[in-house]
Amino acid sequence: MSNKVAIIASNGGLFDAYKVFNIATAAAASEKEVAIFFTFEGLNLIHKQGMHGLEMPAGKEHFAEGFANSGVPAIPQLVEMAQELGVKFIACQMTMDVMGLTKADFVEDIEVGGAVTFLEFAKDAAPTLTF
Amino acid sequence: MVKSDVQLDAKGLACPMPIVKTKKAMNEVAEGQVLEIQATDKGSVADLAAWSKTVGHQYIGSHEENGVFYHYIRKCNPEVNEAVEKTFEHTISNEEALNGKGLILDVREAAEYTFGHIPGAKSIPMGELAERLTELNKDETIYVICRTGTRSDLAAKQLAEEGFNNIYNVLPGMTGYEGELQKEVE
Repeated sequence: MSNKVAIIASNGGLFDAYKVFNIATAAAASEKEVAIFFTFEGLNLIHKQGMHGLEMPAGKEHFAEGFANSGVPAIPQLVEMAQELGVKFIACQMTMDVMGLTKADFVEDIEVGGAVTFLEFAKDAAPTLTF
Repeated sequence: MVKSDVQLDAKGLACPMPIVKTKKAMNEVAEGQVLEIQATDKGSVADLAAWSKTVGHQYIGSHEENGVFYHYIRKCNPEVNEAVEKTFEHTISNEEALNGKGLILDVREAAEYTFGHIPGAKSIPMGELAERLTELNKDETIYVICRTGTRSDLAAKQLAEEGFNNIYNVLPGMTGYEGELQKEVE
């Protein structure tokens, strides 16, 4: 049985962030080795400022109250938790170049790499998830 | 009240925090000890059982009281094979012990006993055995039982060394027991 979980985060909304970080932290807490490849809008999720203001999908803003009432942790808190549990963050170099971003725009301790960096990790991972 | 060694308050936290907190709390729990997790997240009922299975700990059970779920997990060492060699010579099968005239002594942790034991069995967790010997009669036949026969093997040896004469280790133990279970919690 594989002990690795590989995740691709390619969308940048608040719902996307929860899907990615909930699965990632739960897997890491279950002693899995976890890596997330952040690409295109997914880079928002680990952007120093961006991750504090992630948006809900249009028309779904009324869920804000539900988030506040159900004790769901804030995204920056989940990011910190994930890193503390050893989840590896890989930011996509190509997207960063296109968007004019540098490593300094993101949370500490991330790796920057290309598709092959992620594929190398994911080759023996099960499951590999895309959000 | 179910007895536990370490308690974790995860009330008010949503998924995945109860799992994350449980993982961290488990680092402070010694092997064989029981962790109690208090959670209000309804998903924790299925999640903590699944987490225990994945990581290799023993999920004992849970019960609900006023909207709070109390979960009990016994820390196991996944590196140690359950089939450790058992060396106490006098063994007896589950069936023979159940039909025998002796006392069934359950040496699992109190929480394990609470969530299901053989009707009439006496509970003395292995760690408390040395100081509770006076509760037992040296000439009575005693069938020592645990989950898989490992702890009861150690307890049986301990009792024999203390001068108990009619001690048997029950194999395979509670994992092979399919009869009626008496529970102390709903």
